[in-house]
Amino acid sequence: MDTIKENFQKILSEAQRDGVKVEMLVTGGESLKLGFQKKKLEKFESTQSQMAGLRVIKGATQGYAYTENLSLEALLRTYKDALNNAKTVKSEETVEVPLMKPQAAPVMNLFNPEEISMEKKMEVAKTLEEACLNADQRVQAVPYCGFVESTSFKRILNSEGVDQEFKQSSYSGYAYPLAQQGESSKMDGEGFFARSFKDIKAQETAELGVRKATARLGAQKLKTGNYAVVIDREQFPTMLTMLAGYFSAKEVHENKSLLKGKLGQKIGSDKFQLVDDALNLRGTAVRPFDSEGAPSQRTVLFENGVLKNYLTNLEYAKKMNLPHTANAARSPASAMDIGPTNLVMGKGDKSLQQLLSKYDKVVYVTEFSGGLHAGFKESTGDFSMPAEGFLYENGHNKGPIDQFVMSGNILDLLGLIEDLGNEYNKEGNSMIAPDVLVKSLSFAGA
Amino acid sequence: MIIQSHILTKALDAALSTGADFADIFVEDTYSSNLTVLNSKPDQAIVGQLYGAGIRLFFGHEIVYVTTNDLSEHGLVKAALNAAQSRGQGAAKKSMPLMQVPFDSIHTFGEKPWEMDRDRKFRWLNSLDQHARDRNSAVTQVEAGINEKFQRVQIANSRGVMAYDERAYSRVRLETFVESMGMKESSADNVGHMGTSELYDTVDLEKFAHENVDRAMLLTKAAYAPAGEMPVVIDNSFGGVIFHEACGHGLETTSVAKGASVFCSKLGEKIANECVTAIDDGTLENGWGSLNMDDEGNKTKRTTLIENGVLKSYIVDEMGSQQTGYEKTGSGRRQSYKYAPASRMRNTFIAAGKDSFEDMIRDVDYGLYAKKMGGGSVNPGTGDYNFQVQEGYIVRNGRVEEAVKGACLIGRGIDTLGKITRVSNDLKLATGMCGSVSGSIPAAVGQPQILVSSLMVGGRAK
Repeated sequence: MDTIKENFQKILSEAQRDGVKVEMLVTGGESLKLGFQKKKLEKFESTQSQMAGLRVIKGATQGYAYTENLSLEALLRTYKDALNNAKTVKSEETVEVPLMKPQAAPVMNLFNPEEISMEKKMEVAKTLEEACLNADQRVQAVPYCGFVESTSFKRILNSEGVDQEFKQSSYSGYAYPLAQQGESSKMDGEGFFARSFKDIKAQETAELGVRKATARLGAQKLKTGNYAVVIDREQFPTMLTMLAGYFSAKEVHENKSLLKGKLGQKIGSDKFQLVDDALNLRGTAVRPFDSEGAPSQRTVLFENGVLKNYLTNLEYAKKMNLPHTANAARSPASAMDIGPTNLVMGKGDKSLQQLLSKYDKVVYVTEFSGGLHAGFKESTGDFSMPAEGFLYENGHNKGPIDQFVMSGNILDLLGLIEDLGNEYNKEGNSMIAPDVLVKSLSFAGA
Repeated sequence: MIIQSHILTKALDAALSTGADFADIFVEDTYSSNLTVLNSKPDQAIVGQLYGAGIRLFFGHEIVYVTTNDLSEHGLVKAALNAAQSRGQGAAKKSMPLMQVPFDSIHTFGEKPWEMDRDRKFRWLNSLDQHARDRNSAVTQVEAGINEKFQRVQIANSRGVMAYDERAYSRVRLETFVESMGMKESSADNVGHMGTSELYDTVDLEKFAHENVDRAMLLTKAAYAPAGEMPVVIDNSFGGVIFHEACGHGLETTSVAKGASVFCSKLGEKIANECVTAIDDGTLENGWGSLNMDDEGNKTKRTTLIENGVLKSYIVDEMGSQQTGYEKTGSGRRQSYKYAPASRMRNTFIAAGKDSFEDMIRDVDYGLYAKKMGGGSVNPGTGDYNFQVQEGYIVRNGRVEEAVKGACLIGRGIDTLGKITRVSNDLKLATGMCGSVSGSIPAAVGQPQILVSSLMVGGRAK
């Protein structure tokens, strides 16, 4: 028996004596980050992490505690803290919080660490910067660039006999060049995600990053008004992120979700299809089982614009009498929650150019410069997103535009989706989306 | 003291064994607690411990950083050797004998988070919940919580510095959800300080809850903000997020040294209107972003960034100082041992000016009064920034009139600094969390009310 299992058995004995149930989530991993600046290695970071989170179930209440010290002594202390926390909180329910029973999960085979020499890894990190500097003389610097090799694991053990482990390994990299021409300076970039070293395309990533940054130089202001808009497939995931919390049955139960009371209702246009799929290998949120050990599945959220399901974990499926979708989400340091995995939209049949040619004037949004941080209010669905992009007239690119804000409401936007592109965003995102044409949105500009 | 000095010396020598120019070790033992009241009941209680060390080596301007959770002599020396052998091939060096820097805190803490009666904390939260629900029957949900963190850090470096520090952070958060005439809205706010939770006996929880509910109710009736460029009066306190985004990040050597800031090579130049003086101060007693020493073991300072519009200093950490030649400002900060330190802001604010708020408003024919600000971000390379207005009002003919919602403000830092034309005499600070390369850290923002003569308001087009 390994140390984690041995230590858990001792916690389990304590829990049995205390008349409670217990679950232990252990996560960790190793990562190597390499970054170049001014053609010299600037950053070499090798980090390892480990954390155990204990959840104690005492009838209808649950308490949590976590530690990075995985010695038996520390784990037993952490168990006591979680037990005290379970005694502190109160619940409106009288039924015991359910725990997962052992059940086979799909095999995913995503842990394939490779023996790659340090020189080869350095070469990737070096290329990410140098290829940007060499590609265009307007590139002044590449302030954000780096290569990351990582492995991670997640293991769940509980009082019912569950003991599941999932490991994965991957590579990622990014290059964000800063380009300058006259008074105009712009930064944009590109990244890659790969499960095998041979699939890394550092040169292409850097060159595409440079093309994106330089294309935005000399941007003009957009005139305030309502415009048809195409949101680029690399950016539409930001809009999907706005929706992500609304699907949680917990948020619905707590009166926080805008989708409360809307199951079976038509919210999006006929073109809007969305599924939650933890088994889709295009996405980065792949996993064979959720954070309480339930085997992953595929759940339809929107079909032809109609809301079909909420996402649940064991507790909320039982509490609200909903189908169990295996969307328990937590880290060792957080309470049990519900969250999406890979959100996958349906594709359309139009090329990007066809979408951009649909109206006389189309704003093509290629960057949300503030993310959700500055411009989205979850309780109302209203957004005011600082953005950049290009103005198209009769299908022709009239040049880059910046310093404008796109406003609306996320549920209204779903209803205004007019057409979809026939290609997905690149791999390396948990949100999988095509280019999206929206009939009309408000833009604040000059 | 977390680790004995002879162990730290061994680890530092191991770090220097392949010729590194400098090495330091950051050891952390942090207690965290997060309590939440939801549906008027204690809903969540989580406590936890962070426990680990980060070892950093400099080879010229190259940084090697490794972390470990094994704080035994064997674990620290092994991690240090791994770091040394990963890059260096030079001759071994020895660290200087460690000299303990006296621990002399400028802050006063009460009972430690784990010592204080937990029922007392839940009583505060329950009273917040009750005050919010009593304020208006339109309240549909209240979530109130206390987040506490007690961080003990020990830092030792190859120049012989060995220092210890304690940081306590306490923050009460409140979010209320309302529904009125079919309109759903919410409002979130927090109050916090560097210190322990006894603070909440002195906070007017009723006023705090009522203001929160009133703001949410106001928004149910508010129209969407207009769109376009106009004068904007930004309120004091959290309004200071504009300086934090528009300028502060661009002054950190993390960006400056890479040539990735619009404020590069502008020291001594006029970069803002004369009425702007800006300070980044790590020395405020019990200040949210204060430090006794920074996360590199350097005593923190009060740094004048801009004086009467002229750039006086950048925000400089150890490596930033080596790369740029500017003097260190005691600003090396990180979320935890999992991050290498970087130059970061502390308590950053625009100093009080001479104008009055009333005069500023009187000066505006048509514009926006941004009373409560939300989150924001900046691209330091281009200076393009943005942030949210949570509560705003139209100013018409010199008077504050109807409330508006859904606005965000965007601009380019260096343009905006030149357009701050009035600064009031009523300086206030507020607590925020700042995210950047070395993680999420407590940072205070602040300012008196200011008038920006023209700013892009991202509301709805008519």
